[in-house]
Amino acid sequence: MNPGPQIQFYLFGKEFLPVTDTLIVGWVSVLIILIGSIYLTRRLTVRPNGKQNLAEFFIELIYKQIEPMLPGEGWRFLPFIATIFIYVGVGNLIGVIPGVTNPTGDLNTTLGLALVVFIVVQYEGMREYGVWGYIKGFAEPVIFLLPINVIGELAKPISHSFRLFGNIVGGGIIITLIYQAAPALIPVPLHAWFGVFVGAIQALIFGMVAIAYISVAKS
Amino acid sequence: MIEFSPEVATTVINTVSYIAAGSAMIAGVGPGIGMGFAAGKATTAVRRQPEARGPIITTMLLGQVISASTGIYSLVIAIFLIYGI
Repeated sequence: MNPGPQIQFYLFGKEFLPVTDTLIVGWVSVLIILIGSIYLTRRLTVRPNGKQNLAEFFIELIYKQIEPMLPGEGWRFLPFIATIFIYVGVGNLIGVIPGVTNPTGDLNTTLGLALVVFIVVQYEGMREYGVWGYIKGFAEPVIFLLPINVIGELAKPISHSFRLFGNIVGGGIIITLIYQAAPALIPVPLHAWFGVFVGAIQALIFGMVAIAYISVAKS
Repeated sequence: MIEFSPEVATTVINTVSYIAAGSAMIAGVGPGIGMGFAAGKATTAVRRQPEARGPIITTMLLGQVISASTGIYSLVIAIFLIYGI
């Protein structure tokens, strides 16, 4: 697929809403998640059986990651963290199909998700300590550490987004080079490694780092 | 003083960017040493307690993915340098 937007809306003669490949694949993955979750939650019963087991397995898996770090508030954060996990995971897995761009291979996606996590972290910190108390917490050990603490806080979304972006794009570049260099069956194990394994683990890490940031802000 | 034609200027900038991209990847040494050290510690832990192999491997993978981050940052800078962004 070519870089640049596929559809371009114009408003008053200026470029208004570019619709890029990343957006299209993102919407397709949202559609897949929607259809999947509607299918998995038909006819809920108290004693689960069949496909409800699968859904409960995933939710319990994510809940077990949240609960050790945020004791007592796991259920409150579960929708947000599960959304991040599932969206990044499905996006990475769709990107394995040749010819489909990975939505997290675009810095816009990862930076957007990291900024959402940043806003949630600030909100949780202010909710715990009050607005003035949280800001005073940056000057905590010694007052002249205030700029260093602020820069450290601002570096968190940057490292959060660049970790995911760099892993996915680096894997994509290596796969492209291997496709040009080697014939038919050799790229398959590499594609499996970079696409499926690294993608799944990076989705997991993205979510867990988000949980870690929230638990640090609340302490 | 000295006049450079646009082709010469572009070529010089491209050349220096490629050299800079290559030397940016020297930063791959750090995560390599750190992650190898962590893998060694994990192997020692498995030697002491072979029945805890699953959780030890999970913990090691978690730590290694996070500590590979700075190597990935230098890769991103090298990619930006090569493609001229």
